[in-house]
Amino acid sequence: MPDAPVDLVARRYTRNTAIAAVVIAVGWHVGEDLPAMILGWSDYRWPAVVAAAWLTYAVVAVVAAVAILRAEQPMRHAWAYAAITLALTAVVAASAHGQLLTLPSWAWGAVGWLAVMLYWHRPVWHLVAFLAANAAVGLAVLVAAGTLDRVSIARYLMVVAGSTALQLGFAGGARALQAAADWTAAASAAQAEIHTERRAAGEVHRTRLRRFHALQQTAGHFLAGLADRSARPGDPAVQRRCAIEAARLRRLFLETDDLPDPLVDDIWACADVADRKGIVVDMAVVGDLPTVPADVRKALVEPAGELLAAARTRARITLAGLGDQVVVSVIADTDLTEVTATDTARVTVNCHREGDRLWVETRWADPSPSPSSRTIPLSSKASDPGSTRHATRSR
Amino acid sequence: MLDGPGRQADVLLLDLNLKGQLVIDRVAELSTTGRRVVVFSQHADPDTVLAVLEAGACEFVAKDEAADHCVAAIIAAAADLPYVTPSVAGAMAADTTDGRPKLSARERTALLWWFQGMSKESVAQRMGIAETTVRQYIARARAKYATTGREAATKTALLARAIEDGLIRLDEVGDYHSFGADPRPRNS
Repeated sequence: MPDAPVDLVARRYTRNTAIAAVVIAVGWHVGEDLPAMILGWSDYRWPAVVAAAWLTYAVVAVVAAVAILRAEQPMRHAWAYAAITLALTAVVAASAHGQLLTLPSWAWGAVGWLAVMLYWHRPVWHLVAFLAANAAVGLAVLVAAGTLDRVSIARYLMVVAGSTALQLGFAGGARALQAAADWTAAASAAQAEIHTERRAAGEVHRTRLRRFHALQQTAGHFLAGLADRSARPGDPAVQRRCAIEAARLRRLFLETDDLPDPLVDDIWACADVADRKGIVVDMAVVGDLPTVPADVRKALVEPAGELLAAARTRARITLAGLGDQVVVSVIADTDLTEVTATDTARVTVNCHREGDRLWVETRWADPSPSPSSRTIPLSSKASDPGSTRHATRSR
Repeated sequence: MLDGPGRQADVLLLDLNLKGQLVIDRVAELSTTGRRVVVFSQHADPDTVLAVLEAGACEFVAKDEAADHCVAAIIAAAADLPYVTPSVAGAMAADTTDGRPKLSARERTALLWWFQGMSKESVAQRMGIAETTVRQYIARARAKYATTGREAATKTALLARAIEDGLIRLDEVGDYHSFGADPRPRNS
Protein backbone atom coordinates (compact mmCIF):
# COMPACT_ATOMS: atom_id res chain seq x y z
CA MET A 1 0.00 0.00 0.00
CA PRO A 2 2.03 2.98 -1.20
CA ASP A 3 -0.43 5.57 0.12
CA ALA A 4 -1.07 4.23 3.58
CA PRO A 5 -1.31 6.98 6.22
CA VAL A 6 1.99 5.88 7.75
CA ASP A 7 3.73 6.38 4.42
CA LEU A 8 2.25 9.84 4.19
CA VAL A 9 3.63 10.66 7.62
CA ALA A 10 7.07 9.37 6.61
CA ARG A 11 6.94 11.41 3.42
CA ARG A 12 6.01 14.52 5.39
CA TYR A 13 9.05 14.06 7.60
CA THR A 14 11.26 13.80 4.54
CA ARG A 15 9.70 16.88 3.02
CA ASN A 16 10.07 18.95 6.17
CA THR A 17 13.78 18.22 6.44
CA ALA A 18 14.11 19.21 2.78
CA ILE A 19 12.34 22.49 3.53
CA ALA A 20 14.79 23.09 6.38
CA ALA A 21 17.71 22.58 3.98
CA VAL A 22 16.22 25.08 1.52
CA VAL A 23 15.57 27.68 4.23
CA ILE A 24 19.15 27.44 5.51
CA ALA A 25 20.76 27.69 2.04
CA VAL A 26 18.52 30.46 0.73
CA GLY A 27 18.51 32.31 4.07
CA TRP A 28 22.30 32.22 4.22
CA HIS A 29 22.59 33.45 0.63
CA VAL A 30 20.18 36.35 1.14
CA GLY A 31 20.92 37.18 4.76
CA GLU A 32 24.71 36.72 4.82
CA ASP A 33 26.11 36.66 1.26
CA LEU A 34 24.10 39.62 -0.05
CA PRO A 35 25.10 42.10 2.75
CA ALA A 36 28.71 40.81 2.49
CA MET A 37 28.74 41.56 -1.24
CA ILE A 38 27.20 45.01 -0.78
CA LEU A 39 29.64 45.94 2.00
CA GLY A 40 32.64 44.84 -0.08
CA TRP A 41 31.31 46.24 -3.38
CA SER A 42 33.87 49.07 -3.68
CA ASP A 43 36.82 46.78 -2.94
CA TYR A 44 36.07 44.15 -5.62
CA ARG A 45 38.32 43.93 -8.62
CA TRP A 46 35.31 43.15 -10.88
CA PRO A 47 32.09 44.01 -8.98
CA ALA A 48 29.82 43.02 -11.90
CA VAL A 49 31.36 39.55 -12.02
CA VAL A 50 30.72 39.11 -8.31
CA ALA A 51 27.09 40.21 -8.78
CA ALA A 52 26.73 37.70 -11.63
CA ALA A 53 28.23 35.01 -9.39
CA TRP A 54 25.73 35.87 -6.65
CA LEU A 55 22.87 35.57 -9.14
CA THR A 56 24.18 32.29 -10.60
CA TYR A 57 24.51 30.95 -7.08
CA ALA A 58 20.89 32.00 -6.44
CA VAL A 59 19.70 30.30 -9.65
CA VAL A 60 21.46 27.03 -8.71
CA ALA A 61 19.88 27.30 -5.24
CA VAL A 62 16.41 27.69 -6.72
CA VAL A 63 16.91 24.79 -9.16
CA ALA A 64 18.14 22.55 -6.33
CA ALA A 65 15.31 23.65 -4.02
CA VAL A 66 12.68 22.85 -6.63
CA ALA A 67 14.32 19.50 -7.30
CA ILE A 68 14.46 18.30 -3.69
CA LEU A 69 10.98 19.57 -2.82
CA ARG A 70 9.40 17.97 -5.87
CA ALA A 71 11.12 14.69 -6.52
CA GLU A 72 12.13 11.88 -4.23
CA GLN A 73 14.95 10.85 -6.51
CA PRO A 74 18.52 12.17 -6.57
CA MET A 75 18.80 15.45 -8.44
CA ARG A 76 20.10 15.10 -11.99
CA HIS A 77 23.37 16.78 -13.06
CA ALA A 78 24.24 17.47 -9.41
CA TRP A 79 27.96 17.20 -10.15
CA ALA A 80 27.69 19.73 -13.02
CA TYR A 81 26.01 22.25 -10.70
CA ALA A 82 28.63 21.46 -8.08
CA ALA A 83 31.42 22.24 -10.56
CA ILE A 84 29.76 25.57 -11.37
CA THR A 85 29.57 26.53 -7.68
CA LEU A 86 33.21 25.57 -7.13
CA ALA A 87 34.15 27.80 -10.07
CA LEU A 88 32.11 30.63 -8.52
CA THR A 89 34.09 30.28 -5.29
CA ALA A 90 37.33 30.75 -7.17
CA VAL A 91 35.95 33.68 -9.20
CA VAL A 92 34.66 35.52 -6.13
CA ALA A 93 37.92 34.91 -4.25
CA ALA A 94 39.94 36.18 -7.24
CA SER A 95 37.72 39.24 -7.49
CA ALA A 96 38.31 39.88 -3.77
CA HIS A 97 42.04 40.15 -4.51
CA GLY A 98 42.81 36.56 -3.57
CA GLN A 99 41.40 37.02 -0.09
CA LEU A 100 39.62 33.91 1.09
CA LEU A 101 38.81 34.57 4.70
CA THR A 102 37.42 38.09 4.51
CA LEU A 103 33.75 39.08 4.49
CA PRO A 104 33.59 40.10 0.79
CA SER A 105 34.83 36.64 -0.25
CA TRP A 106 31.48 35.16 0.75
CA ALA A 107 31.20 32.27 -1.72
CA TRP A 108 33.77 29.87 -0.27
CA GLY A 109 32.14 29.44 3.11
CA ALA A 110 28.55 29.45 1.87
CA VAL A 111 28.78 26.98 -0.97
CA GLY A 112 28.57 23.98 1.36
CA TRP A 113 24.91 24.76 2.11
CA LEU A 114 24.18 24.67 -1.58
CA ALA A 115 25.91 21.29 -1.80
CA VAL A 116 23.71 19.96 1.02
CA MET A 117 20.75 20.50 -1.34
CA LEU A 118 22.52 19.25 -4.46
CA TYR A 119 23.33 15.90 -2.83
CA TRP A 120 20.07 15.58 -0.91
CA HIS A 121 18.94 12.09 -1.99
CA ARG A 122 22.45 10.75 -2.47
CA PRO A 123 24.85 8.90 -0.19
CA VAL A 124 26.51 11.26 2.27
CA TRP A 125 29.99 10.55 0.86
CA HIS A 126 29.05 12.61 -2.23
CA LEU A 127 28.70 15.63 0.02
CA VAL A 128 31.93 14.78 1.82
CA ALA A 129 33.72 14.61 -1.54
CA PHE A 130 32.34 18.00 -2.54
CA LEU A 131 33.33 19.63 0.74
CA ALA A 132 36.83 18.18 0.35
CA ALA A 133 37.00 19.61 -3.18
CA ASN A 134 35.85 23.00 -1.86
CA ALA A 135 38.52 22.91 0.85
CA ALA A 136 41.08 22.13 -1.86
CA VAL A 137 39.89 25.11 -3.91
CA GLY A 138 40.26 27.30 -0.82
CA LEU A 139 43.78 26.03 -0.24
CA ALA A 140 44.64 26.68 -3.89
CA VAL A 141 43.43 30.29 -3.52
CA LEU A 142 45.62 30.73 -0.41
CA VAL A 143 48.63 29.34 -2.26
CA ALA A 144 47.95 31.52 -5.34
CA ALA A 145 47.63 34.63 -3.18
CA GLY A 146 50.80 33.71 -1.26
CA THR A 147 49.05 34.10 2.11
CA LEU A 148 50.39 30.95 3.71
CA ASP A 149 51.24 32.53 7.06
CA ARG A 150 50.34 30.77 10.31
CA VAL A 151 47.39 33.05 11.06
CA SER A 152 45.86 32.54 7.60
CA ILE A 153 46.25 28.78 7.76
CA ALA A 154 44.77 28.67 11.25
CA ARG A 155 41.77 30.72 10.14
CA TYR A 156 41.42 28.57 7.01
CA LEU A 157 41.37 25.39 9.08
CA MET A 158 38.92 26.90 11.54
CA VAL A 159 36.47 27.88 8.78
CA VAL A 160 36.81 24.48 7.06
CA ALA A 161 36.20 22.60 10.33
CA GLY A 162 33.33 24.85 11.40
CA SER A 163 31.38 24.93 8.16
CA THR A 164 31.99 21.25 7.36
CA ALA A 165 30.83 20.18 10.81
CA LEU A 166 27.61 22.21 10.49
CA GLN A 167 26.85 21.06 6.95
CA LEU A 168 27.68 17.39 7.50
CA GLY A 169 25.87 17.44 10.82
CA PHE A 170 22.73 18.75 9.20
CA ALA A 171 22.91 16.33 6.24
CA GLY A 172 23.52 13.36 8.56
CA GLY A 173 20.74 14.42 10.92
CA ALA A 174 18.29 14.75 8.05
CA ARG A 175 19.15 11.27 6.82
CA ALA A 176 18.78 9.81 10.30
CA LEU A 177 15.38 11.47 10.65
CA GLN A 178 14.28 10.02 7.30
CA ALA A 179 15.50 6.57 8.27
CA ALA A 180 13.63 6.79 11.58
CA ALA A 181 10.47 7.89 9.76
CA ASP A 182 10.83 4.98 7.33
CA TRP A 183 11.26 2.51 10.19
CA THR A 184 8.23 3.91 11.96
CA ALA A 185 6.21 3.67 8.75
CA ALA A 186 7.30 0.07 8.19
CA ALA A 187 6.52 -0.87 11.78
CA SER A 188 3.09 0.76 11.61
CA ALA A 189 2.35 -0.95 8.29
CA ALA A 190 3.31 -4.32 9.75
CA GLN A 191 1.09 -3.64 12.74
CA ALA A 192 -1.82 -2.69 10.50
CA GLU A 193 -1.32 -5.83 8.46
CA ILE A 194 -1.36 -8.00 11.57
CA HIS A 195 -4.50 -6.23 12.71
CA THR A 196 -6.19 -6.83 9.34
CA GLU A 197 -5.13 -10.47 9.31
CA ARG A 198 -6.41 -10.94 12.83
CA ARG A 199 -9.77 -9.47 11.90
CA ALA A 200 -9.93 -11.63 8.76
CA ALA A 201 -9.01 -14.73 10.73
CA GLY A 202 -11.69 -13.81 13.25
CA GLU A 203 -14.24 -13.49 10.48
CA VAL A 204 -13.24 -16.85 9.03
CA HIS A 205 -13.45 -18.38 12.47
CA ARG A 206 -16.96 -17.01 13.03
CA THR A 207 -18.09 -18.31 9.62
CA ARG A 208 -16.66 -21.71 10.42
CA LEU A 209 -18.35 -21.75 13.81
CA ARG A 210 -21.65 -20.86 12.16
CA ARG A 211 -21.23 -23.72 9.68
CA PHE A 212 -20.16 -26.04 12.45
CA HIS A 213 -23.28 -25.21 14.45
CA ALA A 214 -25.42 -25.69 11.36
CA LEU A 215 -23.80 -29.08 10.83
CA GLN A 216 -24.38 -29.98 14.44
CA GLN A 217 -28.05 -29.29 13.90
CA THR A 218 -28.27 -31.53 10.84
CA ALA A 219 -25.48 -34.10 11.09
CA GLY A 220 -25.74 -34.23 14.88
CA HIS A 221 -29.47 -34.94 14.88
CA PHE A 222 -28.99 -37.43 12.11
CA LEU A 223 -26.29 -39.32 13.99
CA ALA A 224 -28.49 -39.29 17.08
CA GLY A 225 -31.24 -40.82 14.97
CA LEU A 226 -28.87 -43.59 13.86
CA ALA A 227 -27.81 -44.16 17.44
CA ASP A 228 -31.33 -44.47 18.87
CA ARG A 229 -32.36 -46.55 15.83
CA SER A 230 -35.09 -44.21 14.75
CA ALA A 231 -33.20 -44.00 11.41
CA ARG A 232 -32.37 -47.32 9.78
CA PRO A 233 -29.04 -47.56 7.89
CA GLY A 234 -30.65 -49.90 5.33
CA ASP A 235 -33.12 -47.22 4.29
CA PRO A 236 -32.05 -45.62 0.97
CA ALA A 237 -33.29 -42.24 2.20
CA VAL A 238 -31.10 -42.54 5.29
CA GLN A 239 -28.14 -43.52 3.15
CA ARG A 240 -28.70 -40.49 0.99
CA ARG A 241 -28.86 -38.20 4.02
CA CYS A 242 -25.62 -39.83 5.17
CA ALA A 243 -23.93 -39.02 1.87
CA ILE A 244 -25.11 -35.40 1.99
CA GLU A 245 -23.96 -34.82 5.56
CA ALA A 246 -20.62 -36.47 4.81
CA ALA A 247 -20.12 -34.19 1.80
CA ARG A 248 -20.93 -31.16 3.96
CA LEU A 249 -18.44 -32.27 6.59
CA ARG A 250 -15.77 -32.73 3.92
CA ARG A 251 -16.39 -29.21 2.67
CA LEU A 252 -15.95 -27.92 6.18
CA PHE A 253 -12.61 -29.73 6.45
CA LEU A 254 -11.60 -28.35 3.08
CA GLU A 255 -11.28 -24.84 4.41
CA THR A 256 -7.86 -24.33 5.88
CA ASP A 257 -7.10 -20.78 4.77
CA ASP A 258 -7.17 -18.05 7.36
CA LEU A 259 -8.23 -15.39 4.90
CA PRO A 260 -11.81 -15.14 3.69
CA ASP A 261 -12.13 -15.61 -0.05
CA PRO A 262 -15.34 -14.13 -1.47
CA LEU A 263 -15.26 -16.46 -4.50
CA VAL A 264 -15.07 -19.56 -2.29
CA ASP A 265 -17.78 -18.11 -0.06
CA ASP A 266 -20.10 -17.56 -3.05
CA ILE A 267 -19.53 -21.11 -4.27
CA TRP A 268 -20.14 -22.34 -0.72
CA ALA A 269 -23.46 -20.55 -0.65
CA CYS A 270 -24.52 -22.28 -3.90
CA ALA A 271 -23.41 -25.65 -2.51
CA ASP A 272 -25.36 -25.04 0.71
CA VAL A 273 -28.52 -24.33 -1.26
CA ALA A 274 -28.02 -27.49 -3.32
CA ASP A 275 -27.44 -29.83 -0.42
CA ARG A 276 -30.39 -28.48 1.48
CA LYS A 277 -32.37 -29.74 -1.50
CA GLY A 278 -30.92 -33.20 -0.95
CA ILE A 279 -28.05 -33.17 -3.41
CA VAL A 280 -24.66 -34.64 -2.54
CA VAL A 281 -22.19 -31.85 -3.29
CA ASP A 282 -18.46 -32.57 -3.43
CA MET A 283 -16.08 -29.69 -3.63
CA ALA A 284 -12.36 -29.40 -4.38
CA VAL A 285 -10.09 -26.37 -4.55
CA VAL A 286 -6.58 -26.37 -6.03
CA GLY A 287 -4.01 -23.63 -6.59
CA ASP A 288 -3.87 -20.09 -5.26
CA LEU A 289 -6.94 -18.09 -6.11
CA PRO A 290 -6.20 -14.46 -6.98
CA THR A 291 -8.54 -11.69 -5.87
CA VAL A 292 -11.34 -11.60 -8.37
CA PRO A 293 -13.26 -8.34 -9.01
CA ALA A 294 -16.87 -8.48 -7.80
CA ASP A 295 -18.48 -8.35 -11.26
CA VAL A 296 -16.17 -11.08 -12.55
CA ARG A 297 -16.94 -13.14 -9.48
CA LYS A 298 -20.64 -12.91 -10.24
CA ALA A 299 -20.00 -13.93 -13.86
CA LEU A 300 -17.87 -16.89 -12.71
CA VAL A 301 -20.34 -18.14 -10.11
CA GLU A 302 -23.71 -17.62 -11.81
CA PRO A 303 -23.53 -20.41 -14.42
CA ALA A 304 -22.19 -22.78 -11.77
CA GLY A 305 -24.99 -21.76 -9.41
CA GLU A 306 -27.59 -22.33 -12.08
CA LEU A 307 -26.40 -25.86 -12.73
CA LEU A 308 -26.20 -26.60 -8.99
CA ALA A 309 -29.77 -25.40 -8.56
CA ALA A 310 -30.90 -27.76 -11.33
CA ALA A 311 -28.88 -30.78 -10.16
CA ARG A 312 -30.83 -33.95 -9.41
CA THR A 313 -28.75 -36.07 -7.05
CA ARG A 314 -24.98 -35.40 -7.24
CA ALA A 315 -22.72 -32.51 -8.08
CA ARG A 316 -19.00 -31.88 -8.02
CA ILE A 317 -17.67 -28.33 -7.77
CA THR A 318 -14.06 -27.48 -8.44
CA LEU A 319 -12.14 -24.25 -8.16
CA ALA A 320 -8.70 -24.00 -9.70
CA GLY A 321 -6.22 -21.14 -9.46
CA LEU A 322 -3.74 -21.55 -12.30
CA GLY A 323 -1.41 -18.60 -11.90
CA ASP A 324 -3.19 -16.01 -14.03
CA GLN A 325 -6.43 -17.96 -14.49
CA VAL A 326 -9.33 -18.88 -12.28
CA VAL A 327 -11.42 -21.84 -13.39
CA VAL A 328 -14.74 -22.72 -11.75
CA SER A 329 -16.49 -25.89 -12.80
CA VAL A 330 -19.54 -27.87 -11.84
CA ILE A 331 -20.53 -31.28 -13.10
CA ALA A 332 -23.94 -32.62 -12.10
CA ASP A 333 -26.74 -34.89 -13.23
CA THR A 334 -29.46 -32.64 -14.54
CA ASP A 335 -32.12 -32.12 -17.20
CA LEU A 336 -30.53 -28.83 -18.21
CA THR A 337 -28.89 -28.87 -21.62
CA GLU A 338 -26.97 -25.66 -21.16
CA VAL A 339 -26.69 -22.74 -18.78
CA THR A 340 -27.39 -19.11 -19.44
CA ALA A 341 -24.24 -17.07 -19.42
CA THR A 342 -24.96 -13.40 -19.04
CA ASP A 343 -21.46 -12.01 -19.00
CA THR A 344 -19.36 -13.74 -21.63
CA ALA A 345 -17.34 -10.57 -22.13
CA ARG A 346 -15.59 -11.11 -18.82
CA VAL A 347 -15.47 -14.87 -18.53
CA THR A 348 -15.37 -17.81 -20.91
CA VAL A 349 -18.19 -20.28 -20.36
CA ASN A 350 -18.08 -23.84 -21.66
CA CYS A 351 -20.69 -26.58 -21.45
CA HIS A 352 -20.46 -30.24 -22.26
CA ARG A 353 -23.19 -32.86 -22.07
CA GLU A 354 -22.06 -36.28 -20.89
CA GLY A 355 -24.90 -38.78 -20.67
CA ASP A 356 -27.26 -37.44 -18.01
CA ARG A 357 -24.58 -35.12 -16.65
CA LEU A 358 -23.81 -31.58 -17.67
CA TRP A 359 -20.38 -30.03 -17.21
CA VAL A 360 -20.08 -26.27 -16.95
CA GLU A 361 -16.80 -24.44 -16.74
CA THR A 362 -16.30 -20.69 -16.28
CA ARG A 363 -12.86 -19.28 -16.73
CA TRP A 364 -11.37 -15.85 -16.10
CA ALA A 365 -7.92 -14.75 -17.13
CA ASP A 366 -6.49 -12.13 -14.79
CA PRO A 367 -5.33 -9.29 -17.07
CA SER A 368 -2.88 -8.06 -14.45
CA PRO A 369 -1.36 -11.02 -12.66
CA SER A 370 0.71 -9.95 -9.71
CA PRO A 371 4.45 -10.32 -10.26
CA SER A 372 4.58 -12.95 -7.56
CA SER A 373 2.02 -15.19 -9.20
CA ARG A 374 3.50 -17.73 -11.49
CA THR A 375 1.79 -18.54 -14.72
CA ILE A 376 1.06 -22.07 -15.70
CA PRO A 377 0.65 -22.60 -19.42
CA LEU A 378 -2.67 -24.22 -20.13
CA SER A 379 -4.27 -24.70 -23.48
CA SER A 380 -7.77 -23.42 -22.90
CA LYS A 381 -8.61 -23.63 -26.56
CA ALA A 382 -9.93 -27.07 -27.25
CA SER A 383 -11.40 -28.15 -30.50
CA ASP A 384 -15.14 -28.06 -30.21
CA PRO A 385 -16.86 -31.06 -31.72
CA GLY A 386 -20.61 -31.15 -32.27
CA SER A 387 -21.55 -32.32 -28.82
CA THR A 388 -20.03 -29.28 -27.14
CA ARG A 389 -20.88 -25.65 -27.32
CA HIS A 390 -20.16 -22.33 -25.78
CA ALA A 391 -23.12 -21.05 -23.88
CA THR A 392 -23.54 -17.55 -25.12
CA ARG A 393 -27.29 -17.21 -24.96
CA SER A 394 -28.31 -14.04 -23.20
CA ARG A 395 -30.90 -13.95 -20.55
CA MET B 1 1.15 -54.95 11.10
CA LEU B 2 4.14 -55.21 8.73
CA ASP B 3 5.55 -58.07 10.78
CA GLY B 4 2.23 -59.85 10.78
CA PRO B 5 -0.27 -60.33 7.98
CA GLY B 6 1.04 -57.27 6.12
CA ARG B 7 4.47 -58.75 5.50
CA GLN B 8 3.61 -60.37 2.20
CA ALA B 9 1.31 -57.61 0.97
CA ASP B 10 2.04 -56.23 -2.53
CA VAL B 11 0.28 -52.97 -1.83
CA LEU B 12 -0.43 -51.16 1.42
CA LEU B 13 -3.51 -49.00 1.72
CA LEU B 14 -2.59 -46.34 4.26
CA ASP B 15 -4.87 -43.87 5.97
CA LEU B 16 -2.79 -40.73 6.48
CA ASN B 17 -4.53 -39.92 9.71
CA LEU B 18 -3.22 -42.35 12.29
CA LYS B 19 -4.13 -41.60 15.89
CA GLY B 20 -4.78 -37.99 15.06
CA GLN B 21 -1.45 -37.40 13.29
CA LEU B 22 -0.64 -37.12 9.58
CA VAL B 23 1.95 -39.77 8.83
CA ILE B 24 3.44 -38.39 5.59
CA ASP B 25 6.99 -39.17 6.76
CA ARG B 26 6.00 -42.78 7.30
CA VAL B 27 4.99 -42.89 3.63
CA ALA B 28 8.58 -42.00 2.71
CA GLU B 29 9.89 -44.65 5.06
CA LEU B 30 7.68 -47.35 3.55
CA SER B 31 8.30 -46.25 -0.06
CA THR B 32 12.06 -46.13 0.36
CA THR B 33 11.99 -49.80 1.28
CA GLY B 34 10.08 -50.50 -1.91
CA ARG B 35 6.63 -51.02 -0.44
CA ARG B 36 3.87 -49.81 -2.70
CA VAL B 37 1.69 -47.45 -0.72
CA VAL B 38 -1.71 -46.22 -1.79
CA VAL B 39 -2.63 -43.35 0.48
CA PHE B 40 -6.27 -43.02 1.37
CA SER B 41 -7.27 -39.83 3.14
CA GLN B 42 -9.81 -37.11 3.67
CA HIS B 43 -6.91 -34.63 3.57
CA ALA B 44 -7.07 -34.10 -0.17
CA ASP B 45 -5.64 -30.58 -0.25
CA PRO B 46 -3.00 -30.18 -2.99
CA ASP B 47 -0.14 -29.64 -0.52
CA THR B 48 -0.81 -32.95 1.19
CA VAL B 49 -1.35 -34.77 -2.10
CA LEU B 50 1.92 -33.51 -3.58
CA ALA B 51 3.80 -34.22 -0.34
CA VAL B 52 2.52 -37.77 -0.36
CA LEU B 53 3.57 -38.31 -4.00
CA GLU B 54 6.91 -36.70 -3.26
CA ALA B 55 7.37 -39.14 -0.40
CA GLY B 56 7.00 -41.98 -2.88
CA ALA B 57 3.39 -43.11 -2.54
CA CYS B 58 2.12 -44.86 -5.65
CA GLU B 59 -1.32 -43.30 -5.58
CA PHE B 60 -3.50 -41.01 -3.57
CA VAL B 61 -7.20 -41.66 -3.17
CA ALA B 62 -9.40 -39.09 -1.45
CA LYS B 63 -12.14 -40.50 0.74
CA ASP B 64 -14.91 -39.31 -1.54
CA GLU B 65 -13.14 -40.96 -4.49
CA ALA B 66 -12.96 -44.35 -2.80
CA ALA B 67 -16.03 -45.91 -4.43
CA ASP B 68 -14.88 -45.06 -7.96
CA HIS B 69 -11.13 -45.38 -7.71
CA CYS B 70 -9.85 -47.28 -4.69
CA VAL B 71 -9.79 -50.84 -6.11
CA ALA B 72 -8.51 -49.74 -9.51
CA ALA B 73 -5.75 -47.69 -7.86
CA ILE B 74 -4.60 -50.66 -5.80
CA ILE B 75 -4.54 -52.95 -8.87
CA ALA B 76 -2.58 -50.34 -10.85
CA ALA B 77 -0.12 -49.86 -7.98
CA ALA B 78 0.51 -53.61 -7.82
CA ALA B 79 1.58 -53.50 -11.48
CA ASP B 80 3.63 -50.27 -11.03
CA LEU B 81 1.26 -48.53 -13.41
CA PRO B 82 0.46 -44.85 -12.89
CA TYR B 83 -3.06 -44.23 -11.69
CA VAL B 84 -4.25 -40.67 -11.30
CA THR B 85 -7.31 -39.90 -9.23
CA PRO B 86 -9.06 -36.54 -9.83
CA SER B 87 -7.62 -35.15 -6.57
CA VAL B 88 -4.07 -35.94 -7.75
CA ALA B 89 -4.83 -34.52 -11.21
CA GLY B 90 -5.97 -31.23 -9.62
CA ALA B 91 -2.89 -31.01 -7.43
CA MET B 92 -0.61 -31.57 -10.43
CA ALA B 93 -2.52 -29.17 -12.73
CA ALA B 94 -2.27 -26.29 -10.25
CA ASP B 95 1.20 -27.08 -8.95
CA THR B 96 3.43 -24.01 -8.66
CA THR B 97 6.04 -25.41 -6.30
CA ASP B 98 9.69 -25.01 -7.19
CA GLY B 99 11.20 -28.06 -8.79
CA ARG B 100 7.91 -29.27 -10.24
CA PRO B 101 8.26 -31.28 -13.44
CA LYS B 102 7.54 -29.55 -16.73
CA LEU B 103 4.13 -30.58 -17.96
CA SER B 104 2.92 -29.71 -21.44
CA ALA B 105 -0.11 -27.43 -21.87
CA ARG B 106 -2.15 -30.37 -23.19
CA GLU B 107 -1.17 -32.54 -20.24
CA ARG B 108 -2.33 -29.78 -17.91
CA THR B 109 -5.62 -29.40 -19.76
CA ALA B 110 -6.28 -33.14 -19.58
CA LEU B 111 -5.41 -33.11 -15.87
CA LEU B 112 -7.64 -30.12 -15.13
CA TRP B 113 -10.70 -31.56 -16.85
CA TRP B 114 -10.16 -34.97 -15.30
CA PHE B 115 -9.90 -33.21 -11.92
CA GLN B 116 -13.16 -31.38 -12.59
CA GLY B 117 -14.96 -34.71 -12.84
CA MET B 118 -15.44 -35.28 -16.56
CA SER B 119 -15.08 -38.77 -17.92
CA LYS B 120 -11.93 -39.40 -19.93
CA GLU B 121 -14.16 -39.91 -22.96
CA SER B 122 -15.56 -36.40 -22.55
CA VAL B 123 -12.10 -34.95 -21.98
CA ALA B 124 -11.03 -36.60 -25.22
CA GLN B 125 -14.04 -35.19 -27.07
CA ARG B 126 -13.39 -31.69 -25.81
CA MET B 127 -9.70 -31.88 -26.64
CA GLY B 128 -10.46 -33.40 -30.03
CA ILE B 129 -8.21 -36.39 -29.45
CA ALA B 130 -8.60 -40.11 -28.78
CA GLU B 131 -9.40 -41.30 -25.28
CA THR B 132 -6.20 -43.37 -25.25
CA THR B 133 -4.25 -40.16 -25.85
CA VAL B 134 -5.94 -38.54 -22.86
CA ARG B 135 -4.95 -41.54 -20.75
CA GLN B 136 -1.42 -41.16 -22.05
CA TYR B 137 -1.27 -37.46 -21.20
CA ILE B 138 -2.45 -38.09 -17.66
CA ALA B 139 -0.18 -41.10 -17.13
CA ARG B 140 2.81 -39.24 -18.59
CA ALA B 141 2.22 -36.33 -16.20
CA ARG B 142 2.15 -38.78 -13.30
CA ALA B 143 5.32 -40.48 -14.53
CA LYS B 144 7.05 -37.10 -14.67
CA TYR B 145 6.22 -36.61 -10.99
CA ALA B 146 8.10 -39.82 -10.27
CA THR B 147 11.24 -38.05 -11.54
CA THR B 148 11.14 -35.30 -8.93
CA GLY B 149 11.91 -35.06 -5.26
CA ARG B 150 13.54 -37.63 -3.08
CA GLU B 151 14.35 -41.05 -4.42
CA ALA B 152 12.16 -43.99 -3.64
CA ALA B 153 12.15 -47.52 -4.94
CA THR B 154 8.48 -47.14 -5.84
CA LYS B 155 9.24 -44.15 -8.06
CA THR B 156 11.96 -46.08 -9.88
CA ALA B 157 9.60 -49.00 -10.42
CA LEU B 158 6.89 -46.71 -11.78
CA LEU B 159 9.39 -44.96 -14.07
CA ALA B 160 10.86 -48.21 -15.28
CA ARG B 161 7.40 -49.46 -16.17
CA ALA B 162 6.54 -46.14 -17.87
CA ILE B 163 9.70 -46.29 -19.97
CA GLU B 164 9.02 -49.93 -20.82
CA ASP B 165 5.49 -49.04 -21.93
CA GLY B 166 6.79 -46.19 -24.09
CA LEU B 167 4.97 -43.60 -21.95
CA ILE B 168 8.06 -41.56 -21.25
CA ARG B 169 11.52 -41.62 -22.82
CA LEU B 170 14.70 -42.10 -20.87
CA ASP B 171 16.01 -38.69 -21.92
CA GLU B 172 12.86 -37.04 -20.48
CA VAL B 173 13.64 -38.44 -17.08
CA GLY B 174 16.24 -35.70 -16.71
CA ASP B 175 18.54 -35.59 -13.75
CA TYR B 176 16.89 -38.34 -11.80
CA HIS B 177 19.62 -40.14 -9.92
CA SER B 178 20.23 -43.80 -10.06
CA PHE B 179 19.59 -45.76 -6.90
CA GLY B 180 23.01 -47.24 -7.34
CA ALA B 181 24.28 -44.12 -5.61
CA ASP B 182 21.76 -44.33 -2.78
CA PRO B 183 23.52 -45.37 0.43
CA ARG B 184 20.27 -46.09 2.25
CA PRO B 185 19.52 -49.77 2.86
CA ARG B 186 16.68 -51.27 0.90
CA ASN B 187 14.82 -54.46 1.57
CA SER B 188 12.90 -54.73 -1.65
